[in-house]
Order: sequence, then C-alpha cells, then structure tokens
Amino acid sequence: MAADPLTLGLYARDASIIEGGCALVVLPSSADEVQACVQVAAREGLAIVPRGSGTGLAGGAVPLGDALVIVTSRMTRVLDVRPEDRLAWVEPGVLNQDLADAVRPHGFTFAPDPSSQQASTVGGNVATNAGGPHCLLHGVTSGHVLALDLVLADGARVRLGSEGPLAPGYDLRGVVVGSEGTLGIVTAVCVRLTPLAPVVSTCLLAFPDPLAAARCVAACIAQGLVAAAMECMDQASVRAVEQYVHAGYPEDAGAVLLVELEGLAAGVAHAVAELGTIAGAHGATSMRVAADEEERGQLWKGRKHALGAVALYAPHYYLHDCVVPRTRLPELLADVYRIAAEHRLLVVNMFHAGDGNLHPLFVFDRGEEGVLERVLTASQEILERCVAAGGVVSGEHGIGLEKRDFLPLLFSAADLGAQACVRQAFDPDGRMNPHKVLPAGARCGDFAMARGDGDLAAAVRSLPAGTWI
Amino acid sequence: MDLTGLPTVTPTDREAVVRCLREASAAHTRVLVVGGATQLDRGNPAAVDLVLSTRALDRVVAYEPAEMIAVVEAGCTAAALRDLLRPHGQEWPVDADDDATVGGLIATGAAVPRQLGVGPLRDSVLELECVSGDGRAIHTGGRTVKNVSGYGLPRLLVGSLGTLAVIVQAAVKLRPLAGARRTLVAAGGLPVALGWLRSVPLATAILVHGDTAELRLEGWADDVAAQTAWARACAPDAHVGDDAPFPQAAPWSHHPVVAEMSVAPSRLGAVLATAGCDAGGLVGVGAGWAGLEGAAALDRLRRRVESLGGALPVVRGPGGLGGTLPAPAIHRRIKAAFDPAGILAPGRFWGGL
Repeated sequence: MAADPLTLGLYARDASIIEGGCALVVLPSSADEVQACVQVAAREGLAIVPRGSGTGLAGGAVPLGDALVIVTSRMTRVLDVRPEDRLAWVEPGVLNQDLADAVRPHGFTFAPDPSSQQASTVGGNVATNAGGPHCLLHGVTSGHVLALDLVLADGARVRLGSEGPLAPGYDLRGVVVGSEGTLGIVTAVCVRLTPLAPVVSTCLLAFPDPLAAARCVAACIAQGLVAAAMECMDQASVRAVEQYVHAGYPEDAGAVLLVELEGLAAGVAHAVAELGTIAGAHGATSMRVAADEEERGQLWKGRKHALGAVALYAPHYYLHDCVVPRTRLPELLADVYRIAAEHRLLVVNMFHAGDGNLHPLFVFDRGEEGVLERVLTASQEILERCVAAGGVVSGEHGIGLEKRDFLPLLFSAADLGAQACVRQAFDPDGRMNPHKVLPAGARCGDFAMARGDGDLAAAVRSLPAGTWI
Repeated sequence: MDLTGLPTVTPTDREAVVRCLREASAAHTRVLVVGGATQLDRGNPAAVDLVLSTRALDRVVAYEPAEMIAVVEAGCTAAALRDLLRPHGQEWPVDADDDATVGGLIATGAAVPRQLGVGPLRDSVLELECVSGDGRAIHTGGRTVKNVSGYGLPRLLVGSLGTLAVIVQAAVKLRPLAGARRTLVAAGGLPVALGWLRSVPLATAILVHGDTAELRLEGWADDVAAQTAWARACAPDAHVGDDAPFPQAAPWSHHPVVAEMSVAPSRLGAVLATAGCDAGGLVGVGAGWAGLEGAAALDRLRRRVESLGGALPVVRGPGGLGGTLPAPAIHRRIKAAFDPAGILAPGRFWGGL
C-alpha cells in the first residue's frame, strides 16, 4: 500500500497523454488480498481503478479524484499449464511475453501479441481485448480467454466461462473481455493455448509508397490469401527503426510490408509465391524471405520497436487506433496524410494492415504553442473519416477516457443505454473505474440522449476535474 | 417444443419487429422467437402465447467478398448463405442444417463440429442488430474484424436463446473455402483420435464415437496429403473420403433425447468411456453429443458431466438445460434490462430466466 506523493504521482497516469490523480495505491499479491481491498473500498464508498502495467493508450487506467488504484503487477504466478486441455490458468499480472515463454516448451503460444507484449499484463490484455500483429489469423483476446475469476465491486467473487466450450448462462466472460476494468477486477485468467505453427515464413516487401502497400494488402485479402500477420510501416517509421535497432529494412523504400505466413510446408510455399505475384502486380520493388530464425527475429524486432524508435523525431507522441473495412484502407491512409499536412503535423504510420487497423502516430514537441490542439483536431478528423468509411473508433486500445465521447458517432442513445445497463448489472453503484468507456450522458434506461457529434478537443476539455492532458 | 395452434407473426422488417414486441410487452404476451425451428427443444420448457418467425427477414444486406464479411438478416438460412458465399470461395464455418437460420444459429450458439480448426461460432459474430423485449432497436458491435469500441454486446447475445432480444441482422466473419477437404475414418476409438491430435498438426477436427475415429483435413492438397500420411502412421487402415461430409456418422442422433456436452478437453475420454450410450466427442475441444433414451439416463450422464465441471444441455427431446447459473443476480439484472416485461420465452434460459 502506498499514499506518498511520488507513488500517487506515478500511478496517476498510464501510457496515454491524460493525467489524473488518486488517493491510495495498493499492490495485492493474491485474489484474497484483492477481495479484501475491494471490500474496504465498498465499505468506504471509494471508486476503484484496476491497473496492470499501465501501458494502455486510452487512459483506461488513469484514476480520477479519490480513487483506490488496485495494481495487479505483483500477481505474477502462472498457476497451471495444461497442454492436454490446451489451456493455462494465470494470475492477471503475468506479462504477455512471459506467458508465451512459459507455454512454448509445451509446443503452444498465447496468440494475442500486442506491441507492448514485453510490458503489458494478461489482465490488461483482457481489459482491452488486446490484439497485436498475429490476431489477423488467430483473432483477438476474446477468442483466447476461456474463463475468468472476477472480484465484483461489492467484493463477491465469481467464475465466468468454462474450461470446456460451453458454460451455463449468458456469455458474461465475453462481456468482461474488453470492458476496461469497469465490471470488476480479474484475479485469474484461463487462457486458450494455440499450437505453434509447424512452418513459419516471414517476408519483407518494399513499396514506393504506403498507399501501394495498402492496395497490396487489400488485394491479398480479396484473393483469399490469409496471412498470420500483415504489418505496414511507412518511410518515416523505417528510418527511425533502422537508426534504433538496425532491423535491415530498406531505408529508400516509401513503405515496407512485413508479412508472416504460417501453416504446413506446401500451403506456406504456395502462399509465399502468391504473395510475390500479388505484390509484384501492386508495385512492390523487392521481396525478401527471412532465411532463418535469426533473420525472422530481426525483422520482427524492427516492428516491435517502431513506436519507441520514433522518439528520434520529437519527444512526445499521440498514437491513434481506428479500424476501417479493409478495402477502404488505401483511401483512409491518403486521408491521414492529407489531414496531417493540413494541420502542419508530422505523422508516422505503422499499422496492422491486414485487419484494417490504422495507428496514425503524431510526433511533436509539447513545448510548441498550440500543437496539442492541432493534434487533437487532426485526430478527430481521422476518427470521423474512419466512421464515415464504415469503420470503428478503436480496434485494440480501447475507449478509456480518450474516446468515450466519440461512441455517439457509432451508437444511438438506445445502443449506449443497453451498454450502460450491462455495466450497471455488474456494478450497480458505479464504483468500478468510473468515467471510463461510456459518455457521461449514457445511462441505463436513458433513451432521450440524441445522437451526438464527437468533438475531441471539447471532450478533452470536458474530462472530469483533476484530469490533465 | 410443440408450437401447434400458436398464432405466428412473420415480420418483414425491423420496424415490424419493434412494433410487435412493444405491443407484446404492453399486453404481457409471451413470445418465442423462431428461425428454422431446428433447435426448438434447446432450453427449458417455456409456455408462450405467440411465435415470432424471422423467416421473412431473409435479405442479404451487404456482401463484399474482398472484406470477408457477410451482413445478412436473421432469417437467412444456412443453405442460402452457403450458396451466396461458395461462388466466391468463402464460407461461414458454422456447420448446420440447411433450414437453420443465421439468427437462430447465433441465438443458440451451437457447438461447431470443426471448431478445432475454425474456432467457435461466437468468435465469428462481429455485429448484431437486435430488438429488445420492450421493442427498442439496438445496434451492437461493428463491421470490422477488430473492434473494442464499447462493450462486447454481440458476445452477450450469442447463445442467449432469444431471451434478451430478437436478433434481426448479423455481420459475420468469413474464411476462404479450403482447396482440398477430406475425412478419414478408422477403427480404434479414443487412442487413435488422441494419436491424431498429437501427430497431425493443424487437423480441422477429430471426432470419436464408440470404436470409430474420424479425422477432418482441409487445406492445400499437398498439405492434406502429408497430413494423411501422418494420420496413417496411427491408423494404417483408415478409410479416406475426398470431399466427404464431416462427421460421417452421428449415432447419437438416432435416439429420442440428444444432449450436447461440454467438458475440459482431457475429460472427454472419461465421459465417453462411462456414458453407456451412443455418444461422440470432439477431441482437443471437449464438445460432444449423447443419444439417450429418457430422463433417467439423462440425469445419470448429466450428474457425471457436471461433476467433472462440464455442462450437458438437451438439444432434442425433453430435459432442459440443467446446470447452475453463475452470478445469478447479474443475469437477472441483464434480463430485466433487456426484457423488462419478461415476455421473451420466459423460463427457457439457464436458471429459469
């Protein structure tokens, strides 16, 4: 437990640009201790903010006001690995990478692999329904969580889901995944294990510009070429990566596409050939297939470190997350560059192209007068373009505080009312991670709210008192 | 469930569903939502006054093959969707009777025989348009393959048996049809099936029933040939059927009561060995089916499955769902929020909801 100013300051923020404040931080080391903390909070009427490693980018772990922050980072036991059941039970503070490493000797992996995987926790992955490059083939976290142990806001403990394929009742497990800590605190996760692919081939393709790469991706999907991962990086990303980790990317290319194909020998060989044909028809200037595990690792190291590498350009960043139908990717990417130019901003693009999941990254110096306003305005324009193209406002980072006032772009008052009802069913007093996910006006049974228009700058200004951006 | 003599409404658009449910809620008319009527027995017995058929909601709303997503109305049948997708080399990998509807399959959340390779039904549902018991049109999810924009309400509705809302439209994730499809059948039962699970990577499905094991292989022809060779190392006499259906046999289906089982995968063998009936299960998944003669046999098997942490709902014949509802208060609040008058198949769901 900690209440000193330094610790409270540390836990007042996550990896987003939003800063809050908290009254007390606790780091329990067991489910019993989590339950005891929640019971105290229930008795005192305190709001609770669950937190893993704090790598979230949407402010989901940013506490507000007199909240009690419950940090799961000391709950790091891998409780049970059962290859014969293709599952493992872990505590929520286990790091994503540590879980993958723990099950690898058994011939399995934990498929969700967010770029933060060396730092982010499994509990945090559950909270945001995390994705990552390989969810193109294997799907997002919700498909890899079989069951959960949860402490509810009133201190009760419940197990949701099942080790088998079917569990009695509504799929509350599925609702808790992606609920950003607003329904309870997860104290154990039963994860589904995915067999390691027998054959994996990693290819690096170079294109004259990112739009050509995006068109190649859309063509691959259209022709039924299902890759395990399709990651795109533009020239600015590539140059930063090369200075930082020397991944061997071609710095003269306008964009690179990292494609991983997995399966059995013949299918992978066929897919590599087909990829070459489609890429050639879409202007690829080169294609390199990793010759061994070391080269494969090096190519991936570049992608995984791309976010850190852009610190080369400027000290601050704002990383976006939105998804569009995959056929619309080239046009949306063009919009992103146009919008950035109109607002005189440097934008770097590195994204999960195969899923249509864009991650425009604005790089700036907060010392520059008015730059944050321009970043927020440009971000809002990008979100609006994505929604207009049939997309959604978050693919894997979540809504948190950052995007809650944009949900009305996607949902009517009745839609949001239904979501609020589900939240209230778990937490009738509204003490679990309050202010997050749903817009301030969304209430169970409230169908009067008009379909609003989001305004990111206004939304940020409307953040609860005590929040800083 | 016998629907003889019940009045039926067959709305042709979402607005008609909204009107129907508003009126039903106001008049406390109990409503059973029916698609292809292939899963009527799934659930506890529920007395109803009115049948709402989704069969006239059968339009294809959007299908762009390059997106690998299909958006159809709830009454679109499995056969119609298959016919729509096949010319484009795609499928929604939910193996179902021709008459079953997309909405009905989602509402029942039935086990998918090929789940080992293609994943469960719930992971393929991206967006649902539905109407709550009191007649509110609600949009959930989105038409992208990744989405964490708000709560995952499509997952709440999968398997909800028409007790929360009427599903009127769905966007589902598709996959390419495999070039080669093959079913191997061999004697040897569970040991052979477990041998295949260990030695045939990327098998699409492995089923065991009695002394028979079935292996489903889908993919590139050369890969399927390689998998067949590995499979033959465990079962040299396996019979190979190219483009054959899967499963080849479903002996449980010839009995008056059919139950769907769910246990942790490694416990399947223990259940099947002591089931004392025509039963089969999917190795590596833990789903299975049992054909039973009546209530006594069902009770005995259900106690066995539940003692192993599993569930055994009946899908044909009498017997209901069994099982114990976790977090009953949360369930009751959700049911009350979506269906405040309690008109949607009252009692059909787990826990008598």
